[in-house]
Amino acid sequence: MKIPRLTTLVPVVILVLLALFPLIGIPLNWLNYLFSFFIYLALATMWNLLAGYTGLIMLCPHAFVGLAGYTMAIGTWVGVPFQAGLIAGAAVAALFALLISYPVFRMKGIYFAIGTLVLPEALKAWFSFWRPVGTAYQGGGAGYAVAGVAGFTLGDKYWLALAIAAVSIFVVHIILRARLGLGLTAIRDNENTAASSGVNIFRLKLSSFLIAAFIMGIAGAAYYIHNPRIQPTSGFNISWLLLPLMATVIGGEGIEEGPIIGAAIVTFLRFLLADYGAWSLFIQGIILVVVVVVMPQGIAGLLRQVGAYRLPLRLFKAAEAKIHKT
Amino acid sequence: MSETAVLSIDRVSKHFGGIVAVKDMTFEVQAGEVLGLMGPNGAGKTTLLNIIAGTYSPSSGRVHFCGRDITGLPAHKLCHLGIARTYQIPQPFTSLSARQNILVATEYGGKKAAGMEHDKIFDLVNLSEQKDMPARDLATVSLKRLELARALASNPTLILLDEIAAGSTDAELPRILGIIEEIHKMGKTVVLVEHVMKVMVEAVDRIIVIDKGEKIAEGTPGEVMKDEKVIAAYFG
Repeated sequence: MKIPRLTTLVPVVILVLLALFPLIGIPLNWLNYLFSFFIYLALATMWNLLAGYTGLIMLCPHAFVGLAGYTMAIGTWVGVPFQAGLIAGAAVAALFALLISYPVFRMKGIYFAIGTLVLPEALKAWFSFWRPVGTAYQGGGAGYAVAGVAGFTLGDKYWLALAIAAVSIFVVHIILRARLGLGLTAIRDNENTAASSGVNIFRLKLSSFLIAAFIMGIAGAAYYIHNPRIQPTSGFNISWLLLPLMATVIGGEGIEEGPIIGAAIVTFLRFLLADYGAWSLFIQGIILVVVVVVMPQGIAGLLRQVGAYRLPLRLFKAAEAKIHKT
Repeated sequence: MSETAVLSIDRVSKHFGGIVAVKDMTFEVQAGEVLGLMGPNGAGKTTLLNIIAGTYSPSSGRVHFCGRDITGLPAHKLCHLGIARTYQIPQPFTSLSARQNILVATEYGGKKAAGMEHDKIFDLVNLSEQKDMPARDLATVSLKRLELARALASNPTLILLDEIAAGSTDAELPRILGIIEEIHKMGKTVVLVEHVMKVMVEAVDRIIVIDKGEKIAEGTPGEVMKDEKVIAAYFG
């Protein structure tokens, strides 16, 4: 029998342990926190794919979250079950990404960033008066409840979010080790040289943009299964941008484990500071500034720099050698 | 246009706003030829390379490559068709190793017949010992060699070399001449922009002299150096 490598085994073991949590009766609050963590993790991992590996400072995750959430919510009122709506929402987010790709990819650097930043604002305005189905559910307004999610337990939602986060990490892991990852890194490092080496810049940027939009959409829609009421001000809220951005920058941009560390910190801070309202953002902002100044490559970058992974890796290798001997 | 022409530039002009960088340029490069482009700073040599490589489209005129009209095609398509270029100021993929740098060109360079093995390319440009170093740690001299390696890795028909000898010491020149000779022997067509006279005179079959975007002289190195317009352009 072939013994799997420990570096493969460890993530699988962690995944299985996390999947067991709802079954062993851990406090419901924990499941709630972890649910948020998984959603933020999926968003941050995708934001890192764009900003860290493709060089696209994309500032419209809230467009994808809002569109996917709205698609799913509206769908539940016209007979589409939320499970199908989840996929449909992600598809709509990806379709939106496809539609805007031609104009926004004509802009570079900071212009691309600003070009993407205005889109969710436009969508927010649109969804504030557009009401395709049904009557206002609470005396007017443009919000929608997500119907038919009552039977979906917290455990189910937790597993869904865990699966989305795991898939997002796995997708980036595969991309980085494939031809696509090489091309994306080339684009990030130097667009001109990439083009003259035969890289079709538009097509590669579009690939990572569509993947990110789809997974951000599905993560956003999953959030609205758990919090089954969407409004323009929540779906298209700028915090859907700030969370993955902070998680990625604090954790380490362009580093695979960066968003994992960052998302954990951002989730922790969010619940720790939940009672302090506006102060919460202020404190998070200060932390962001300190991280950028003290560790420009984020926490994961610092860990790599000081060689924090050397000891565990050496232990892994030693253990592996031992297993193979017996 | 003659049948053996790999590259044909037909009345090409390029304006940037009101500034004319290349004006009504016409010339051909034959298969297997090494053509030198010469001219004072700002004459339009690099602009011309950028037009051939697809970084810019010309404001007017046509460019043909192996009989095909390539005017205005994007850079990556031209790479697939068989045009590779080096940059005057090295433009590496800084976070990638030298080996990965040229892997980009072989992976994305198009479905042409397999080119040289990477190790042979590194041997040729004398970069074998540094091939696993990240490009950001390489010295300028090594980066210039990496430019060459990357250009060769996509196995081009036509290779555009933009001042590969600039900044080299006299002792390094024979090596650079040797590399150009090797590329020539592989049957590749070369267009060379160079300020280092020794390289220009020894490596090329023919020289075109450009001044203020216009062709002012054309001929063998010996002929061109005696041309009064060339002397006037350089020494005023």
